[in-house]
Amino acid sequence: MAKIQYSFIFFLYIIIKCNGVNVDIISSDLKLKNVDRNIDISSQLVKITSKITLENTGRAPVKYFLYAAESVTKDNLAFVGFKDNNNKDLRLVETSVKGYDDVKFWRVELKEAVNAASTVVVMAEAVLTKALLPYPTAITQQEDQLVKFNGNLYFFSPYYVASQKTTVIVNTKSVESFTKVKPFSQQDGTISYGPYSNIGPFTEKELSIHYKNNSPFLTVTRIERLIEVSHWGNIAVEETIEIEHTGAKLKGPFSRYDYQQDHHSGPASVRSYKTLLPASAADVYYRDTNGNISTSNMKVKKDTVELDLRPRYPLFGGWRTHYTLGYNVPSYEYLYHSGNEYLLKMRVIDHIFDDMQVDELITKIILPEGSTNIKLNIPYPVSRLPDNLHYTYLDTKGRPVVSFTKRNVVENHIQDFQLRYTFPRLLMLQEPLLVVGFLYMLFLCVIIYVRLDFSIHKAEHPHKD
Amino acid sequence: MPASSVEKPLNSPNKGLFNNTAGFSTLITVTVLLLAWLAGFASRLFAVIRFESIIHEFDPWFNYRSTAYMVQHGFYNFLNWFDERAWYPLGRIVGGTVYPGLMITSGTIHWILHTLNIPIHIRDICVFLAPVFSGLTAIATYLLTSELWSRGAGLFAACFIAIVPGYSSRSVAGSYDNEGIAIFALQFTYYLWLKSVKSGSVFWSVCTALSYFYMVSAWGGYVFIINLIPLHVFVLLIMGRFSQRLFVSYTVFYIIGLLLSMQIPFVGFQPIRTSEHMAASGVFALLMAIGALKYLHSLNPKGQWKQLLILGGLLAAAAVFIAVVLLTYMGVIAPWSGRFYSLWDTGYAKIHIPIIASVSEHQPTTWSSFFFDLHVLVCTFPVGLWYCIKNINDERVFVALYALSAVYFAGVMVRLMLTLTPVVCVLAGIAFSILLDLVLREDELPIPQTESEESKSLYDKAGKLKKRAHEPTLPTDNTGLGMNVRSGILIAFMILLMLFSVHCTWATSNAYSSPSIVLASYGNDGSRKILDDFREAYGWLSQNTAEDARVMSWWDYGYQIAGMGNRTTLVDNNTWNNSHIALVGKAMASNESAAYEIMTMLDVDYVLVIFGGAIGYSGDDINKFIWMVRIAEGEHPKDIHEADYFTERGEYRVDSEASKTMLNCLMYKLSYYRYDSGGSPPGYDRTRGALPGNRGFKLTYLEEAYTTEHWLVRIYRVKKPDEFNRPRIPLAKRIISTTNAVSKKTSKRRKGLLKNKPTLVKGKKVSRLE
Amino acid sequence: MVRYTSPINPAVFPHLTLLLLGIGIFFTAWFFVYEVTSTKASRDLFKELLLSLVAALFSGFGILFLLLWVGIYV
Repeated sequence: MAKIQYSFIFFLYIIIKCNGVNVDIISSDLKLKNVDRNIDISSQLVKITSKITLENTGRAPVKYFLYAAESVTKDNLAFVGFKDNNNKDLRLVETSVKGYDDVKFWRVELKEAVNAASTVVVMAEAVLTKALLPYPTAITQQEDQLVKFNGNLYFFSPYYVASQKTTVIVNTKSVESFTKVKPFSQQDGTISYGPYSNIGPFTEKELSIHYKNNSPFLTVTRIERLIEVSHWGNIAVEETIEIEHTGAKLKGPFSRYDYQQDHHSGPASVRSYKTLLPASAADVYYRDTNGNISTSNMKVKKDTVELDLRPRYPLFGGWRTHYTLGYNVPSYEYLYHSGNEYLLKMRVIDHIFDDMQVDELITKIILPEGSTNIKLNIPYPVSRLPDNLHYTYLDTKGRPVVSFTKRNVVENHIQDFQLRYTFPRLLMLQEPLLVVGFLYMLFLCVIIYVRLDFSIHKAEHPHKD
Repeated sequence: MPASSVEKPLNSPNKGLFNNTAGFSTLITVTVLLLAWLAGFASRLFAVIRFESIIHEFDPWFNYRSTAYMVQHGFYNFLNWFDERAWYPLGRIVGGTVYPGLMITSGTIHWILHTLNIPIHIRDICVFLAPVFSGLTAIATYLLTSELWSRGAGLFAACFIAIVPGYSSRSVAGSYDNEGIAIFALQFTYYLWLKSVKSGSVFWSVCTALSYFYMVSAWGGYVFIINLIPLHVFVLLIMGRFSQRLFVSYTVFYIIGLLLSMQIPFVGFQPIRTSEHMAASGVFALLMAIGALKYLHSLNPKGQWKQLLILGGLLAAAAVFIAVVLLTYMGVIAPWSGRFYSLWDTGYAKIHIPIIASVSEHQPTTWSSFFFDLHVLVCTFPVGLWYCIKNINDERVFVALYALSAVYFAGVMVRLMLTLTPVVCVLAGIAFSILLDLVLREDELPIPQTESEESKSLYDKAGKLKKRAHEPTLPTDNTGLGMNVRSGILIAFMILLMLFSVHCTWATSNAYSSPSIVLASYGNDGSRKILDDFREAYGWLSQNTAEDARVMSWWDYGYQIAGMGNRTTLVDNNTWNNSHIALVGKAMASNESAAYEIMTMLDVDYVLVIFGGAIGYSGDDINKFIWMVRIAEGEHPKDIHEADYFTERGEYRVDSEASKTMLNCLMYKLSYYRYDSGGSPPGYDRTRGALPGNRGFKLTYLEEAYTTEHWLVRIYRVKKPDEFNRPRIPLAKRIISTTNAVSKKTSKRRKGLLKNKPTLVKGKKVSRLE
Repeated sequence: MVRYTSPINPAVFPHLTLLLLGIGIFFTAWFFVYEVTSTKASRDLFKELLLSLVAALFSGFGILFLLLWVGIYV
């Protein structure tokens, strides 16, 4: 009887928990005393770092607070992260608030509760992709690329903001136009807004900056990352990348003469970029469907291998290319075991180029044949695809493949995943024994063949010596 | 050094180390053949080691693309494949116009490997197929030569053909072409034919027919087999060497071979309808007649039958010949096709089929290329031929005929050096084997049974001076050679063979191992700079143009554009439609507006030209241009005149002295558009060694889409009519003029009254009649 | 959890390959010569099976280490 009760309560708890959506209420006790916002739009990404001073004006200690993103930015928001004063990551849980359906909320859980009438400082980091739009959308080979940034002049928050300051880093002197709301000032490469005081919650005011941005506007439309684990001491990593220049499209002809003679020709075009590989990477290959691409340079540094990759042709707006990059790393760097239990700790995605933005990432991990009990653990939400089998050298049943996919990935997503599986060590012998068996079959065929007699009639035996 | 004949004399004083010398000799044979395979494989890998595993040249790209299609879509879809991305807008029936043997071989290997879970990519299989088959060719040559002469000669021949440049030129790794497997099929068919003639068994004849079927599926040169074997039979008949074995083997081979060869869609009904195959049928009929006569003769073996037999044979031969000529005259049998007719009449192609004449491989062979491709073998093979004729039998008649016909064809076309190489290796192998037999053979002098210690002195000629009086059977005449002479000859020939292998490796490495889609230049310090312009351009094409974009270029690059760039082409290396090629040539040779008309008619989106002036690459389109003009003139003699493109003195130039037509034609403009770099002075054309005559011009109908880093490949986009037909109105004039019109209608006249007041006349109603 | 290392040191792959393949080729050649030179009467099934087993064993392991040496980490 007690068992049934327990299971009933258990199921109820599960049902409540599995509703999926968390619902929170906005506490009126919290107030943001000061917000210092830094919007870096000098590259193709919009990186917003905010230093938030949170004040608890109520009486009870507060363990968490809410962070909100405007409805227009929530599709572009690739990464949100919070750190407290000691540079420790804070846990973020997606949540929602009744009455604000088109706003995205996160609940940030503090490590220590904020007591009444005290403050705490947290650092917020948000990365937006595709928020900088080229304007004009098509330029000729000689022109500079101008982009437009549309953002929020004020810090969007469910709480009352007492005072806030915003610094926009554009890194260029050629700013065509920008929103002028006093007090503001424009210096060399930065535009400062503020301080603004006493802004209410959920306030939006358009901040639009139209400026010159010749930094590389490359989007990786698709990357497929394949990790093959071999228990003979090697892990092979292969990335198939499709990359497109998503800046202002090229209008008109491409003149090779201008491109070669004039060093400032094609200021927004991309000639090469640097990829950083793990330090023990060896046997690096860089090719595409037509064969090896010879225009690359490799430098082995102390804690990384730096690859200077040049695509076959320079990338102008609207041009795309694809390539495959692969390398080997020794297994003792990333694979751990105790008995027959194994643990693989590798990066979900690796560095492709600085300030990268990836539309679609698919990671596949191929485990040795006969691995069972596979468990995957990833620090941020991804969608797991069904497992399937991969057949390669000396396989009979096929190797299990674990795959997952994620959209809108940036550099901040370069973190480790953990994959656990069980593999009986004796199964490694299956591979050489398969080859031995095959060869033995061949020998047996020969032994049988010499004993066969296909003659139609018996030949007379001539008497030789 | 392979062992020569292993027949030790019966009364040999020393016994071998192993009791079973037959097993040991087989082991040596197998080891030597395996090493020959390895050597042949390794010597063809220069391109792969220097660059990468990639398909070379032009034709192999089409073979690779079809093989990839077959692997992806299955065998029956490949046989029924209609390729609409070639020869736009005509398309090409691939299944019916290709020899599928090569693709089927690679596809089968791919399928077997993938079933065993060995995931080798189809491109790697295609690249390495020819080196693997070179080893098989060596084994087939060994079998062929051991049928002809002896196993020692066979080993020599196998080693020769494994590395000889004449064969490896067409079968390096990456050269994925029909010849790679066809030479193996050729040698193997000939071996089986000799075996069946020797034994007269139906089994071997059927094997010959099956191997012939493989050869027909692999290469258009199967015509050589189907003419050489009947010729062999015919010569044997003339020599009076008719036998039951010959009868059985040829008849079985001919019928089964005929039926099997017609299974290939490309061959179809040709074996019974074209002149190239009539020799086989004629000999078949003749053989039947002679066989019948012989049978009648055997029933009644009297003297006067002999004359009747000869008379009957001659009559039968004449009847067959007249029948063939009559049928050809009536049109039932097609006459010799252009490609094969030009082998007999060498001046024919230049006048009537300029496309055949323009290919560099179809030019007559020079003396130097004989030596370059065959080295010492070309000097020793007449020796082998002479020995074969001296000790004639049925098989050696065949090889003599093979040698004579191959030498003739190799003299006509450089490309046919390939058919000469196997027979040269066989005969040179025989020659070397005879020589070594002579030099290495131990003297068979009777040994005194009792005195065994004196036997040592028999081998030492120098020591014989002392014992001359005691030796009863000292050979005073030269039944053998002196020891010094022997060692001298031996060392000389070993040096010759070593020089041969050094030359072969050098020739393969320097002359025949360039992938031709990747160029490399070497700097002063030996560092290598790779010019990857072709793949750069094709990669750009495949990624940055629409999926169904049409690319117009000269037919040389059609297969590469289709294979690497994956775009629809207008003309390609198949050159089956001369008028289409002539249209493209006309577009390239006309001025820009006339060319634009042709390009809109052909629905072209992009134009691709090869320009080597910036780096001095001599295989570019301006150098090939005069052939474009000739081919275009062949079809449009009123519009294009070859003489227009030369100067008054008849020179072909591109600088300021060039003719007006040359300076304004599309090919010239597309090559030199905005070309102002390239060293000193700027705009200098390194390949022609001149400064272009027409510079600084603008293009109206085309726009530069992409040019590669070293200016090698230039791609232009054809503008759509709405892009350049709009007249440009300067900004100041862009106003719509409105007139300050004031209405002239006063209040009185506002309602639009007529000027003079009309009078109303009322009409009478006409009464209606009942 | 300790770091995982391969049961056989990768630096040793080339030497193991040559050794095992060499012995395997030797036994294969012995088997081959035996097959070619023996007649129907003189053949010994047990010797054949034993020879081929040893040859297959050594060659099989040799091929595995050849694959590992070349870089195909099976």
